[in-house]
Amino acid sequence: MARRSPPRNGVGGHDFDSKKKRKVAEIYQALNSDPIDVAALRRMAISEGGLLTDEIRCKVWPKLLSVNTDDLPPLPAGKELREDNKDYQQVLLDVRRSLRRFPPGMPDDQREGLQEELIDIILHVLKRNPQLHYYQGYHDIVVTFLLVVGDRLATALVEKLSTHHLRDFMDPTMDNTKHILNYLMPIIDQVNPEVHDFMQSAEVGTIFALSWLITWFGHVLSDFRHVVRLYDFFLACHPLMPIYFAAVIVLYREQEVLDCECDMASVHHLLSQIPQDLPYETLISRAGDLFVQFPPSELAREAAQQQAERTAASTFKDFELASVQQRPDTVLRQRFRERLRGEERTKSILTKPRTNRFVKLAVMGLTVALGAAALAVVKSALEWAPKFELQIFP
Amino acid sequence: MAAELESSLELSFTGSGTVPGGGLPPARSRIFKIIVIGDSNVGKTCLTYRFCAGRFPQRTEATIGVDFRERAVTIDGERIKIQLWDTAGQERFRKSMVQHYYRNVHAVVFVYDMTNLASFHSLPSWIEECKQHLLTNDIPRILVGNKCDLRNAIQVPTDLAQKFADTHSMPLFETSAKNPNDNDHVEAIFMTLAHKLKSHKPLMLSQPPDRDQIHIKPEPKPAMTCWC
Ligand SMILES: Nc1nc2c(ncn2[C@@H]2O[C@H](COP(=O)(O)OP(=O)(O)O)[C@@H](O)[C@H]2O)c(=O)[nH]1
Ligand SMILES: [Mg+2]
Repeated sequence: MARRSPPRNGVGGHDFDSKKKRKVAEIYQALNSDPIDVAALRRMAISEGGLLTDEIRCKVWPKLLSVNTDDLPPLPAGKELREDNKDYQQVLLDVRRSLRRFPPGMPDDQREGLQEELIDIILHVLKRNPQLHYYQGYHDIVVTFLLVVGDRLATALVEKLSTHHLRDFMDPTMDNTKHILNYLMPIIDQVNPEVHDFMQSAEVGTIFALSWLITWFGHVLSDFRHVVRLYDFFLACHPLMPIYFAAVIVLYREQEVLDCECDMASVHHLLSQIPQDLPYETLISRAGDLFVQFPPSELAREAAQQQAERTAASTFKDFELASVQQRPDTVLRQRFRERLRGEERTKSILTKPRTNRFVKLAVMGLTVALGAAALAVVKSALEWAPKFELQIFP
Repeated sequence: MAAELESSLELSFTGSGTVPGGGLPPARSRIFKIIVIGDSNVGKTCLTYRFCAGRFPQRTEATIGVDFRERAVTIDGERIKIQLWDTAGQERFRKSMVQHYYRNVHAVVFVYDMTNLASFHSLPSWIEECKQHLLTNDIPRILVGNKCDLRNAIQVPTDLAQKFADTHSMPLFETSAKNPNDNDHVEAIFMTLAHKLKSHKPLMLSQPPDRDQIHIKPEPKPAMTCWC
């Protein structure tokens, strides 16, 4: 892969080179210490520039995922895998269409070879983990690993990732994915209530961020260097970090959002077209700050409330007449939001309206607060974020 | 606020109120919101792209969630925005993700792949799902068989598709998003739908949710149109 271009933030090339050299040395030091200094590697992956080169990534990514690279299992023959695999057809369709993920200048036969490898890795992981379900977009994640570390190591890394970070996306249904998307609006609300309210009244929903979340932005960013930089960051962080990053992108575009027409189509359209020249390093550190400031446990209640509001909305919708101009749910929701504005929002979250049960659950939520331990890999995002809505609406 | 008007078939005001400093009275422009559904790989993305961008896309990728495309057209001197909501075909996305986008749609386009019988056999479940999400029964729906350019690979005979379309009171169109000579055909399909919506308005707006009430039957279904 080509060397990273110097950062745009005005840092001179020379400065960058020496900074980079120093960082490379630090990374190798962490790798060579005994035991390996994984905490330091994690910091390197997060801090400016991330892991810098694919060569380093090959060494560090396994450490971030605690994958032992000494005894990688051999890959089974692809032919076996493809026979009676329920996901084979869908995987095939998606991989065949994923031309854009490969370097532009790559010869066709080389690309086709990699596409076959990609199919095999996916089917292999699925076969070994029958509890995991393929989703469209999974291939965008796997291809990133394939291109950086090659098929053998990619298989091991992807398997680990799939049973941990991506676990929620691979359930039989997408309910948990939806639940994670519910974190988006509360994060935005914490930082910029105006943007939040605007988006709420546009009823834009959160599906514009779905592909960001479940592909770790691999599906939407065309420059591969940006994708791997983000993967450095996400691999070093909590599984919910991609949703914080999504929020940061929306917030970065706050003016565009507010200038947009306040309807679902316009806002969805604006947000789903991700600008390709985002200041990634700045946004990464912002996302990290936000995470520490508003850890998932803090937001769990809000996220559950998103669900509650939406459920309320759909109940009202049943009574809606086709010709009614002003929809009761919208009005109601706005009033409900207003009540939360001002003083109330600064008060304890526990005083927010909703049921007693809700309050109780919120207290339960606090017991899994992350605090400073935030940047640790945990098994699954939802272990930290109880599924409130399931309990509120049994 | 514009948001409340947007999704109604009644007149909505593009660029009203929300544009700061806009002193001029806003141009009225109706919006027709059309959702495009069907199995993965039948060509939904290509069809919507063809209509909105005027050409067959070089390469498409799997649609994750919902994509949005839009085109402004003029019908009988009226400017109308046609919004196409292109959806993911994989079942898991439909179940919990796509519902939101059924909200206030004005028409539904079901797509199957003429060279893939399975995609045709999935149609009943798409129709059923659509019924569950939509408020009223009388939203215009059309059936599109795509990829008719692959003449030697056709698996879904026209008469079979026509019978199915008749049973469900939908017009059937067979077309190709790919064949460069078919540009007008894809165009005509969506324009036909837009014309239908334009004239359909009173029916939609007066339709109460009570399905037992007598309502005006949609005009007799047009015969199958194939421009291949
Ligand atoms: N021959 C032919 N291929 C088509 C046509 N429309 C789409 N395709 C191809 O079918 C595949 C799936 O198309 P896509 O629009 O992504 O399907 P979607 O999953 O329904 O959105 C792509 O490889 C397209 O190139 C068509 O009219 N003719
Ligand atoms: Mg598509």
